Amino acid sequence: MSPLLEVCPLDEFEAGSCRIVEWDGDQIGVFNCDGEILAMEDRCSHDGAPLAEGVLDPESCTIECPRHGAIFDLRSGIPTTLPAYIPVDTFPVVIEDGLIKIEVD
Amino acid sequence: MATPDQTRVPLTSEEEGLKDLNSDYTERYGFHDAENYLFKAPKGLTRELVEKISEFKNEPQWMREFRLKSLDHFLAREMPTWGSPMLAEVDFDNIHYFVRASEKPERSWDDVPDDVKKTFDRLGIPEAERSFLAGVGAQYESEVVYHQVNKDLEDQGVIFLDMDSALRDHEDLVREYFATIIPANDNKLASLNSAVWSGGSFVYVPPGVQVEMPLQAYFRINTENMGQFERTIIIADEGSYVHYVEGCTAPTYSSDSLHSAVVELIAKPGARIRYTTVQNWSQNVFNLVTKRAVAEKDATVEWVDCNLGSKLTMKYPSVYLMGERAHGEILSIAFAGKGQHQDAGGKIVHVAPNTTSNIFAKSISKDGGRSSYRGLLEVAKGAGGSKSKVVCDALLLDEESRSDTYPTIRIGEDDVDVGHEATVSKVGDEQLFYLMSHGISEEEAGKLIVNGFIEPIVKELPMEYAVEMNRLIELQMEGSIG
Repeated sequence: MSPLLEVCPLDEFEAGSCRIVEWDGDQIGVFNCDGEILAMEDRCSHDGAPLAEGVLDPESCTIECPRHGAIFDLRSGIPTTLPAYIPVDTFPVVIEDGLIKIEVD
Repeated sequence: MATPDQTRVPLTSEEEGLKDLNSDYTERYGFHDAENYLFKAPKGLTRELVEKISEFKNEPQWMREFRLKSLDHFLAREMPTWGSPMLAEVDFDNIHYFVRASEKPERSWDDVPDDVKKTFDRLGIPEAERSFLAGVGAQYESEVVYHQVNKDLEDQGVIFLDMDSALRDHEDLVREYFATIIPANDNKLASLNSAVWSGGSFVYVPPGVQVEMPLQAYFRINTENMGQFERTIIIADEGSYVHYVEGCTAPTYSSDSLHSAVVELIAKPGARIRYTTVQNWSQNVFNLVTKRAVAEKDATVEWVDCNLGSKLTMKYPSVYLMGERAHGEILSIAFAGKGQHQDAGGKIVHVAPNTTSNIFAKSISKDGGRSSYRGLLEVAKGAGGSKSKVVCDALLLDEESRSDTYPTIRIGEDDVDVGHEATVSKVGDEQLFYLMSHGISEEEAGKLIVNGFIEPIVKELPMEYAVEMNRLIELQMEGSIG
């Protein structure tokens, strides 16, 4: 079974916000898209920029890279615009006992 | 020794017919018309103006929001610190961001306002349309004033509209592709365009349709301190072909204007897009343009990019080779005269395996002008079997001129075939002497050497443009040698 990384209590995670957690030296962005909790590698595949510092669009469940504007689908990690063309990693999210956890294997 | 007149190479009939086109820039292109505008925004960029542009155009809410978000990006970003020191001279507060010259794009030249029509008559656009084009768009200041496409093409489903009309008539199609290749926050100038864009072309070619004659757009700035921000998208669906040609000129003024376009090309599997530019802005125009293309499986995208005019051009057309066996080609000519900096080049990114590309860049510098080649060749991990060749040649015509080369190559695979060649040369006394010993004047010899230098790229232009290009180069060369 994949290790579970605890993020925060679900009721403390506001819609439209994001949290950063660290795992094995890498950062993972956790996003609340109008109630849907999603987790994605916090590093743009184009230029290494921290994606969680970009603009989150909860409606389309996308995040816009703050450095060159590439937009990533938070569910799949696939870039929907250039200049990024390589997907970033996504992580399954589970809610256990009111806590948000992500599978980080 | 023979006089220049005796040795001048006779003009062909085609050249004879076009010789008056380029007598000199001020006379031919540098004139300006009286301003009988429907609306001219005061100088400066504000949120209210961005909202007003959107309101003028009666745009959907998503586009209005896109513009405002882009404005935030523009304001938040610093001006690039690379490229040219001239960039620091761009004064964003001293620009008119929106000028409306006519009510709507007309489909008949007779309906275009008289002053504007006279301008395009003088530039030869209606005549060119009759002679060798499949469709024409003519943009004057911020908006397209004339647009027409052959009925045969329309019947085959080809869409060739100004971008404002396309957003109104084909909103879903525009929304599907708009800013997917160049996002709003790609760079500061793309953010600016995204906030205040107006005009430009939208082209959609259905699967299998071959548009045999070129589509042309002509961009004209008339007023002083104008900002022109057209937005163009070309989508060639599976197995189709289209050649789009753009030309641009402006009056000669003592203070600066800004042209900042965004162009996005999408070549679907097996399609081919050729995009040709003959940029001849007056020497008070900053030309800061973002152009990018994607080529899907077995598709081809070719940029033919000729930069003659402007004060400063920074433009690096790029192709992302996203599907197997896609091909990208960038042919670039830059001519930098006195007071000019042509910072041009191209970018190719091999994303898929077995993709191929070429970049051929030629630059000529004279009278203290500066030309730079700035390019990127990237072969991503997973793009094994790819081949690419980059050749950039610079010709310096005197001691005061300058040429720089900034190539970047990133290779993420072992199984690739990549070559890069660069040369810098000066028109040598020996070359001149050899030609002059055959009875050719010194001035003609210089022109022959320059024409031979750029010939591999000029020959890729449609005949009418190749003739004009050669004559423009000849004009630029007047008095260069000796």
